[in-house]
Amino acid sequence: MTSPKTAKRLNRILAMLPWVIANSGASVDEVCERFGYSRRDLAADLDLVFVCGLPGYGPGDLMVAYIDEDEVVVELADYFANPVRLTPPEALSLLAAGMALMSTGQAPEALESAVAKLQKVVLGADDDALVVDLAEPPFVAELRNAAAGGNVVRMVYTALATGSTSDREVEPWVVFTTLGNWYVRGYCRSAEAERVFRVDRIRELATTGDTFESLPRPSDPEIGYTPSEEDVRAVIRLGENARWVAEYYPVETVAEDGEGLTVRFSASDPSVVARLLLRLGRSAELLEGAEVEESLAEMRTRVLARYGAHP
Amino acid sequence: MHKVIERILNLLAFLLTVGRPVTADQIRTTVAGYGQATDDAFHRMFERDKDLLRRLGIPLELAPTDGWQVEHGYVVDPENYALPDPGLTDDERAALWLAAEVVRVGGQVAAPDALFKLGGAPMTASGEPLAASLTEGSADLGTAFSAIAERRHLLFGYRDRPRRVDPYGLVHRRGHWYLVGAENEVVKVFRMDKASQVGAGDDPDAFARPVGFRASEFIPETPWEAGAEDMVARVRFDHAMAWWARRQIGNRGSLIEAADGGIEAVIPVANPEAFIGWLLSFDDNAELLDPPELRQRLVDRVRVGK
Repeated sequence: MTSPKTAKRLNRILAMLPWVIANSGASVDEVCERFGYSRRDLAADLDLVFVCGLPGYGPGDLMVAYIDEDEVVVELADYFANPVRLTPPEALSLLAAGMALMSTGQAPEALESAVAKLQKVVLGADDDALVVDLAEPPFVAELRNAAAGGNVVRMVYTALATGSTSDREVEPWVVFTTLGNWYVRGYCRSAEAERVFRVDRIRELATTGDTFESLPRPSDPEIGYTPSEEDVRAVIRLGENARWVAEYYPVETVAEDGEGLTVRFSASDPSVVARLLLRLGRSAELLEGAEVEESLAEMRTRVLARYGAHP
Repeated sequence: MHKVIERILNLLAFLLTVGRPVTADQIRTTVAGYGQATDDAFHRMFERDKDLLRRLGIPLELAPTDGWQVEHGYVVDPENYALPDPGLTDDERAALWLAAEVVRVGGQVAAPDALFKLGGAPMTASGEPLAASLTEGSADLGTAFSAIAERRHLLFGYRDRPRRVDPYGLVHRRGHWYLVGAENEVVKVFRMDKASQVGAGDDPDAFARPVGFRASEFIPETPWEAGAEDMVARVRFDHAMAWWARRQIGNRGSLIEAADGGIEAVIPVANPEAFIGWLLSFDDNAELLDPPELRQRLVDRVRVGK
């Protein structure tokens, strides 16, 4: 397979040529800015184009492409007057990105018209053939504003895994969504450490009036989980219906076969794993983990007591 | 690298202007860049070049070179090659660029390549961090998407069975991509990440999409709405977790506030197993009051493994 670098370079040449042909007299700066070129790379690509053309390959058969003072000149290249159609993954990723941003209510007007135009070209009159819906829990907009303005927030946060509720002061850096949930990442002044919070677990939120210096560009957020020494560990057998657990939780797969998989699970609290096992019922089985087993037994007893049922 | 690019530019210029299907041999003897190669070297080179053209989205097709259909040649239809111009303004291009910067559609191509084709955009870094990642999307999304647009059947494996579906729409909700389409004239919903060996049928326009079809209406908002059963559950949520229940139920049920801060909710349930699973995440802060058979199923679930 040809290298991705070659493919990228060729893609850019085949996109740049039609634009220059349609906008004759375009300046070097303009072309560079629009297609992300350095002046040197643009000159190198034009040199390549200059030695290519139609069979015969004499003067008159080859394309003409060069920089004249500050102008980009392309001639005898009419067969490259149109850009290449979008591949389905390209069209999908542009449309889905646009729709995702629109569903969060942060989209500029130009995005709505851009998506509408693109959709018409790609999908014709099919409304609703592509739908991206990022439902936002309360406080997403407030957190986003706080992150942008460098405002410290105070939040009442319930960690559902342990059921503990705390009052925290947080410097929000970035708000993002992945796997269907919204998160805010930032510096928790109460814990004196970087933390990631699930936005739907925030019960109350207000700015404190305090500010912090917002990061120039936070790194791409990840909902990583780093197991620590104090963590509880468990080994769990997941049946076919419980395979999804391996996608949602930071687990390590120990073994996998046609009927399911065995995973190693670490969590800060045994109740996290116990509650999951309770939910999964028959489709999962605890193989190792004494603390989890104990927590699960207590949970069963509590729930059954509530229902007046015998264990 | 420049030798490859020169050769491909020559090949593409030839294919776009020649106006008839041309065989590999004709290409080898006509297009600059292939001439010196041995048979083996030529075939390897030409295979790689074809692959590259197709990856860029160039419609390289095989067609018979004459009426007897004994010999086939390569053809690129200039009309099919060209992007239909969506007529974007520079503001619109810049808006798309920003969207593509802050939203990652899992496993999909880098945005600049697509945006260049649309005429490029001033790509100053927006400074915005990534705002959304639409799952670890499978590469199959592109296949499904083009099948929808071109009205091709979509063939894939799902729950141990091969399927043939008329694809009507792709919907991203709650962190997953869903395909909505008709299998044997019944509209169904499939999770794309659970589909295997996804491929599109050979024929475009293989079915008619119902007029005004709304794909999003087929995707339930909560797991317990995704099912075929039809029952109504009454649940008591205690004060400590009432806020969470209220938020999760939204307007999908009716709520009565109790004097102690708890709530009693009446909720339509289409998938009892998912509903029970959800209720158990409340530990002993929730109690399923009605109907009795659902209550019994919950108790049985909790007893399992004892």
